[in-house]
Amino acid sequence: MIRLLKCEYLKTRHCFIFPTAFAITAICLCWCLYGDVDDEIIKYGWRMFLYQFPLVNAIFLPLLSMVIASRLCNLEHKGKMQKLLCCMEKRGKLFDAKLLYGLGIITVCVVLMWAVTVIFGVVNRFLGPFPIKLYLLYFIFTLIPTVVIYIFQHTLSMLFKNQAIAFFTGIIGEFIGIFSMFLPSLPFLRRMVLWGYYGVLQFVGLFGWTKESRYENAYFDLMPIDWTFFCVLICAGILLYLIGRYLFCKKEV
Amino acid sequence: MKEIVKTNGLTKKYGENLCVNNLNMTVTDTSIYGFLGPNGAGKSTTLKMLLGLVHPTKGEIDIFEKRVTDKNRISILKDIGSLIESPSYYGHLTAKENLKICQTLLDVPSSNIDEVLKIVRLDKQQSKKVSAFSLGMKQRLGLAYALLSFPKLLILDEPTNGLDPAGIHEMRELIRSLPQKYGMTVIVSSHLLSEIDQLADNIGIIANGKMMYQGTLSNLHDTDPSKTLEEIFLDLTGKEQSL
Repeated sequence: MIRLLKCEYLKTRHCFIFPTAFAITAICLCWCLYGDVDDEIIKYGWRMFLYQFPLVNAIFLPLLSMVIASRLCNLEHKGKMQKLLCCMEKRGKLFDAKLLYGLGIITVCVVLMWAVTVIFGVVNRFLGPFPIKLYLLYFIFTLIPTVVIYIFQHTLSMLFKNQAIAFFTGIIGEFIGIFSMFLPSLPFLRRMVLWGYYGVLQFVGLFGWTKESRYENAYFDLMPIDWTFFCVLICAGILLYLIGRYLFCKKEV
Repeated sequence: MKEIVKTNGLTKKYGENLCVNNLNMTVTDTSIYGFLGPNGAGKSTTLKMLLGLVHPTKGEIDIFEKRVTDKNRISILKDIGSLIESPSYYGHLTAKENLKICQTLLDVPSSNIDEVLKIVRLDKQQSKKVSAFSLGMKQRLGLAYALLSFPKLLILDEPTNGLDPAGIHEMRELIRSLPQKYGMTVIVSSHLLSEIDQLADNIGIIANGKMMYQGTLSNLHDTDPSKTLEEIFLDLTGKEQSL
């Protein structure tokens, strides 16, 4: 597998995959962190981030997955390389190597986003100790939906030469995912699509907010974690991987 | 003589369309086998089936006297080089970088890269991005990929496609030298009788997925000495426009 991963690295030279990934990460971080740090942010900062960031993640991380998967797989389609590579290595291994390489890039970006957020909180002296357990959970609940979405995008991009199919599906899913987060009265909607799981796994809520008093009596508090649907998401990821790998192995080049 | 490739009742069906029909093909060691047939006769599908890129509907394939199965396919393919239809390449990389990927994948010595670049005469353009290559140069890069591991068997599907007359001549000379120089067996497909005539030791003629003739060119001529090879080929394939 190391040999195959080395090949993936060699393929991506000069095609700006890493700068693209880091650019999307940087835009996401700017969106989240740019602005004045007032007393309210310092007071509620740690939990406020855990409440606000899943929505931003639901916008940027599926986009990142879509772009990286598409760019990595399109390298093969553009140069008709699959027919050559399939004569040199088992198809399943080719599928796995590219998936692992893409997931590596995605994981680095998620870790980077997480680390910058934590550093931002520490530097701005957010009130209270750093809630490491909550932030580790947040990291897992950010990474896992992204990994599952990436597996889905990777499968589409590997199977279809026309990358518009992967893009179109990804964009539709992303829109449903984002809008499902604005419709808390329809929890089944966000549970039905992979892109909605940033919301399903959100465990900090805003309470006491009313139209009249707005944030005056509002506070952020923990909500119960939906472990059942976390398991459903993991199962969906495994299933998507197995289906994608099977279809790729069966595909005639 | 040792049979390097042997197919038995090889069949490929796409829906109701029978693309390759009960094909029995035999290729002997260190020979050049010309696989001839009009466009759409089933040449590429047959070669793709040999390489495992297309799954046969029916039939068996033996390569190097081993039955090809899903389990041993890759170990058998390690000794096969191929160029199927148009050449494969990463346009954003140089010829050398392209070959480095395959060299890593095949786990062969890196010195092979320079050697094959010399053989296909791309050594002077090795630092140029492949996207800037002409079709002929891409075709030669495709051949370099195929030769990279100096395989026992080389499968070339219409390797002269898109080449100018000088390129065709050069490619032909190169292919002709491979069995003697490197002990390779070569299968070359083409829809041009003249091309195969100048290259092959043995030929197979395929039309509508069926093997119409298999043997030497001289034997084919002997089947009806009053006719030219071209006329015999047309009689067999029944498709005048293909020539």
